[in-house]
Amino acid sequence: MTHLPYIAASYGLFAIMALVFSVGAALRLKRDRIRLATLEQKAPRKAGAAPQS
Amino acid sequence: MTRKTRRLWLVIACVACLGTAAALILRAFSSDIVFFVTPSQVMASPPPKDRTVKLGGMVVAGSVHRERRGETPVATFNVTDGQAAVTVHYEGILPDLFREGQSVVAIGTVQPSHDFTATEVLAKHDETYMPKEVAEALKKAGKWDPRFGPPPSADSWNKMTVQDARKNTATQPASN
Amino acid sequence: MSASPTFVARTGNFFHRYANPGQFLKLGARLQPWLTWPAILLTLTGLGWGLFFSPADWQQGDSVRIMYVHVPAAMLASAGYAGLAICGLLSLVWRHPLADLAAVEIGPVGASITALCLATGSLWGKPMWGTWWVWDARLTSVLVLFFLYLGHIALIRAFDDPQRGYKAAAILALAGAVDLPIIKFSVQWWNTLHQPDSITLTGAPTMSSSMLWPLALSALGMGLGFAAIVVARTRAAVMESRIRALLSSPRRRGNAA
Repeated sequence: MTHLPYIAASYGLFAIMALVFSVGAALRLKRDRIRLATLEQKAPRKAGAAPQS
Repeated sequence: MTRKTRRLWLVIACVACLGTAAALILRAFSSDIVFFVTPSQVMASPPPKDRTVKLGGMVVAGSVHRERRGETPVATFNVTDGQAAVTVHYEGILPDLFREGQSVVAIGTVQPSHDFTATEVLAKHDETYMPKEVAEALKKAGKWDPRFGPPPSADSWNKMTVQDARKNTATQPASN
Repeated sequence: MSASPTFVARTGNFFHRYANPGQFLKLGARLQPWLTWPAILLTLTGLGWGLFFSPADWQQGDSVRIMYVHVPAAMLASAGYAGLAICGLLSLVWRHPLADLAAVEIGPVGASITALCLATGSLWGKPMWGTWWVWDARLTSVLVLFFLYLGHIALIRAFDDPQRGYKAAAILALAGAVDLPIIKFSVQWWNTLHQPDSITLTGAPTMSSSMLWPLALSALGMGLGFAAIVVARTRAAVMESRIRALLSSPRRRGNAA
């Protein structure tokens, strides 16, 4: 393959970026879901319904 | 609801004004936004000797002379836009894509003799992408000579597969 | 003018019905797998095809394979900013809370994909053109887009009162949208070092179909991936705003008692 370093760098940058963003988003979703579930369990039903907007 | 409608029209008016302003500014500076000047522009009004200009055009087939002055390669070639041609002198290594018929941008100064002394040469490739085999098939079929300009209309070749192209070149009467 | 109030009202109702934060959480959770898995599958197929099975270009050799990352990244850079501009419009006219949350989340993803577009363009330009960077109209207008993203990211987080940040950022997003047609048409309006588009609405693509297919797949895959990440981040943002509300309301009540 010609120009291999340039090609490898391009695909590598993309792979790193895709990985960072998808893992970051997945971890954030998981953490938020757990926190929300525990809070809603603790809080009375009314407080859970109030903050819609 | 009328408040929302008013806000919508306000936003539309602002974006329209901004768009018009941007369009007018771009029009006014159009000559500064272009990346290069063409050989006919250089011939019509040569820029001052000390001003760096970027000259863009196609390398004329058969005009390329390469030699070596000591360690450094020296190249002389003509660049044309179809109407005028300018002779370019360049000391240094040309980019990989440099060839006859390729578009290039030479950065340098115009000499009083109307020759161009380049300090840097960039290759400008076009928007056609084709496998080597397809290019070979087109050349063999006599439909295209890369030294004299762009390839034929895309819909005549963009569906050709590498296998088709290999077959075509194999069945062509041997031309070399 | 006479028909516009009903249009505005109807559009507003539509968004309140289908895109209010609560509804979005349900819809997003159901949509997520349909975005994520096709995105991974299509991106891997497209990039794998482009990297290993598509032919090398007759004059650019293998460096043409950078295209399969660069072109989708460039498309998404513009599309992401168009998304920001739409969020800005929804925020300014309809004051839609979800549009603001989405704008906060699109910013960093769009800025990164624009940076990827610039970086891969540079990595492609060096071996082909002979330079990492030139100040031609296409490259410069994309760099401006990158700075618009950075400005948006900074502005939307700059105020203590988030509503003020949302408003300022929405104005910037709409004003910056002027750059999008400039990027698109820069290669036609002015002469540039960057080549014109190979794929246009009007003519046949000036690209062999053996390269067009992997490009289409990776563009589709990366587009879905962009959407999947934005949806996931926006879902998280909605949850976080609920968490904040839950944390602050009982405490306030507790203090009052």
